[in-house]
Formats: sequence, structure tokens, C-alpha cells
Amino acid sequence: MISGDRIVKIWAKYGHFYLQGLGNTLWVTLLAVSLGVVLGLLVASGRMMKLRSRDNPVLKGIKAVVRFLCTAYVEVLRATPLIVQVFVIYYSATGIGLSLSDATATRMMWGIIAVGLNSGAYLSEVIRSGIGAVPGGQLEAARCIGMSQWKAMRFVILPQAIRNILPALCNEFVTIIKETSVLAMVGIAELMFKAQSISTQTYIFVEPYIIAAAMYFTVVFPLSKLIAAVERRMNKSVTR
Amino acid sequence: MSQDKLIQVKGLEKRFKRLEVLRGIDIDIHKGDVVAVIGPSGSGKSTFLRCLNLLEEPTGGQIIFEGTDITSKETNIDVMRQKIGMVFQQFNLFANMTVLDNVMAGPLRVKGMKKDEAEKLALGLLERVGLGDRGSAYPIQLSGGQQQRVAIARALAMQPDVMLFDEPTSALDPEMVREVLDVIRQLADEGMTMVVVTHEMGFAREAASRVLFMDEGVIMEENGPQEFFDHPQNPRLQDFLSKVL
Repeated sequence: MISGDRIVKIWAKYGHFYLQGLGNTLWVTLLAVSLGVVLGLLVASGRMMKLRSRDNPVLKGIKAVVRFLCTAYVEVLRATPLIVQVFVIYYSATGIGLSLSDATATRMMWGIIAVGLNSGAYLSEVIRSGIGAVPGGQLEAARCIGMSQWKAMRFVILPQAIRNILPALCNEFVTIIKETSVLAMVGIAELMFKAQSISTQTYIFVEPYIIAAAMYFTVVFPLSKLIAAVERRMNKSVTR
Repeated sequence: MSQDKLIQVKGLEKRFKRLEVLRGIDIDIHKGDVVAVIGPSGSGKSTFLRCLNLLEEPTGGQIIFEGTDITSKETNIDVMRQKIGMVFQQFNLFANMTVLDNVMAGPLRVKGMKKDEAEKLALGLLERVGLGDRGSAYPIQLSGGQQQRVAIARALAMQPDVMLFDEPTSALDPEMVREVLDVIRQLADEGMTMVVVTHEMGFAREAASRVLFMDEGVIMEENGPQEFFDHPQNPRLQDFLSKVL
């Protein structure tokens, strides 16, 4: 049975350990999502490239290849489990010797890259649909006053798309906080890993994880409520 | 080539997949012309207008604007579009900008005009369309007629040589049609070259210097407004006018 007494005792002894783990979880999440945003932007732009009849054949070919690669990336990463991706990326990278001098840092880095790659696939779809939700007439009007495609994006489309993207982006951050727990499997010292090590040291199998769950909850729950509240206010200001 | 030919359209064709929308359009538009384009829906008139600034890419023929073939791959269309203003049925004001910023956008972001200069220009234009006091509003706060007048000011801010209007009053409530047509008419009086796709026959008759009737992707009839409406030649035009007048 779960014993409150044991939880208190574990926390008293290993509390700082847990907090360290939570700190690492948040760092890994922040860096992975940042990587995901950059990748997502690149991949979304890749997938949104239009083949135009005015382009020369070489450019058309390049565009078609880039578009195919970007689509393949998104579909493969969204249709396979994160934990499988983490294993494949982590073991193939370290297997061919792509390591830093410090083993802990190496682990951390590949963990972040694996989660970032996964998040990039999801975020590229978030970004793509956020841009797609801006009415087509906005782009036409911008091009009609002589703006280049890039200027139209910069001054007209993206400022409107960000309103659509931001809430989903924040939710992605919250999701990734939880998802990084799979990194415990490759030995990255985030919150779940700490709980696991405490469990094996103390031979207590439930309570260490209850504490981890409680910590995830204290971070994720208020954060997601906050995002929902901000989103509601933003929508209000759009409709006026 | 004659100096006053602003736009020459030669054998213009446009097809979407298997659907032929424009099947050979030839017309010269001179400086100061006010060309009204009328015709049943699906006749290709909007597509014709959108080809003039390459919003639609023609699949055949040439469009020569001020001596430059804009359908050529070597032509930088962004530069040409600075001289071709366009006003849409759905206004398409930039939703993320105030009215003033909408009108300033072109001079500021495209021409690289200084901010205070662009602002002065924009305020003058808003004054001209009767909205000098609404600069700080967002498009969503304005009525349709007001939005369309802002859209006209935004196009004028680039100081274009020709203005294209794509059914500028079709999305408006009836009581707002007038205020927009008044602005367009005033432009015509000032000598602006214009091509106006419209369903407003009264406007075409009074304000246009030439009227085109389009059907099935070709220009079926072209004439001065008086002749056009009083003595239509083509049976299709006679039929069309009997339905709409």
C-alpha cells in the first residue's frame, strides 16, 4: 500500500535530488522545444514552397525534393513512438562516436536533439496550419502593393499567424515536459530518472514515483490553466 | 509604340487545368481610360483583371505594361505591381494593422519612404476618401464601405499609373455602395486610368469612357457607354442587358 509516511521520509532525504531532476527536465524541455521551433519553421517553409510555372526546371526539381523530404520527416516522426526515436538517435549517434568529452553532457545533448526532432515535426504542422488559417486575400493584397513574398510574410502573414500558433506552441511545451520522462530510459538525469534511481536504492517501488507524479502535476497543471486563460483573453481582443 | 498605350493585352489566354477561362483577349488601354468590364458570372472578367497584375499567371499571350512585357520570366513583377493598384471585392485590409498603417504599408515597406513622410501621405489620402479621423482604428471596427475606401487609399499610396477594381461594391450593403462609387468616380474625374469589373450598370454608364462585355472568355462587345447601353449589337449583350437593366 501507499504510505504517506514513506513519502515524507523519501522527500526529506532525497528532496534536493528530485528538484535537481525537475530542473533538468525543464532545461531539456526548453532546449528541445527551442530546437523544435527552429526545425518546425524550416520544415513548414519547406512544405509550403509552391512549384510555379515560371520557375526553371532545376529550381522546380530542387523544390520538389525539399518538399518531399520535409513531408517525409513530418510523417515518419509523427507516426512512430517518441521512445523508439530516442533509442535510435541516441544509440546511433553515440555508437559512431559522436560524443562530447563529458559523458553526462553527451547524453543530455542527444536527448535534447531526439526530443527536439520529434517536437519539430509536430510544430511544423502547428506553424503550417497557423499560417494557412490567415485568409488568402491578405497575401494577395500584400503582393499587389509590390511586397515580395518574404516582405508579405514578414509584415502581414506572420504577425497574424503568430496569434494562431502561440497557444498551440505553449501547449507543446507543456506536453514535452511530460514526454521528456522517456529520456530516463537512456540515462538522462531528469525527474523520472531520479525517481527510478531512488526506487532502486531504497527498494521502495511506488512512493518515489508518486512524488515524481506530484512534481510533474504541480508544474504542468497551473501552466496549462494559465495558457488557457491567456488564450481566452487573446480571443476576446480579436473579436473586440 | 504609341506613348499613351498604358497596357496592351495580346492574345491573352488562361486555363485552369482543363477549364479554359480566357480564350484570346486583345485590348489596348490608354492613359486616362476608364474601362468598365461587365458580363455574366463565370465569363472570365475577374480572371482577366487578375491577369493584368499577374495575380493569375496567363497560360498564353502577352501583357505589355508601359512597354514592358510583364508575362516575361525576366520581368520583376514586384516592381511592376508598384505601378498597378488593385482593389478587391473583399477589401483585404491587413487585419494586423491600423487603418493608417495599412495605407502607409506600401510607401514604408516597399518604397522605403521615411516614416513621417509616409504618414503625411497616408493621412492626406485618408482625408481624400473621407476617413481622415479613423487612422487609429483597426479594419474590423469599420463598416464595409469604410474598409473599401481605406483599401482604395492603400492602393493610391503607391501612386500607381493604373487602378484595377475587382467588383469593388459587390460585397457591400446597398446603402454603402454609393460612398465607394463616389470615391471611384472622383478618381476618374481626376484622370486616373482604371479598369473596373462591376455589376453597377449605372456606374458603368456614367463614369466609364469605354465599356467591355465579356462572355465565355472573350470580349464580345466594346463601345463607348452611350452606344454600348443604347444600341447593343451582340445578341448575348442584348440578352444580358435585358436581364440586368
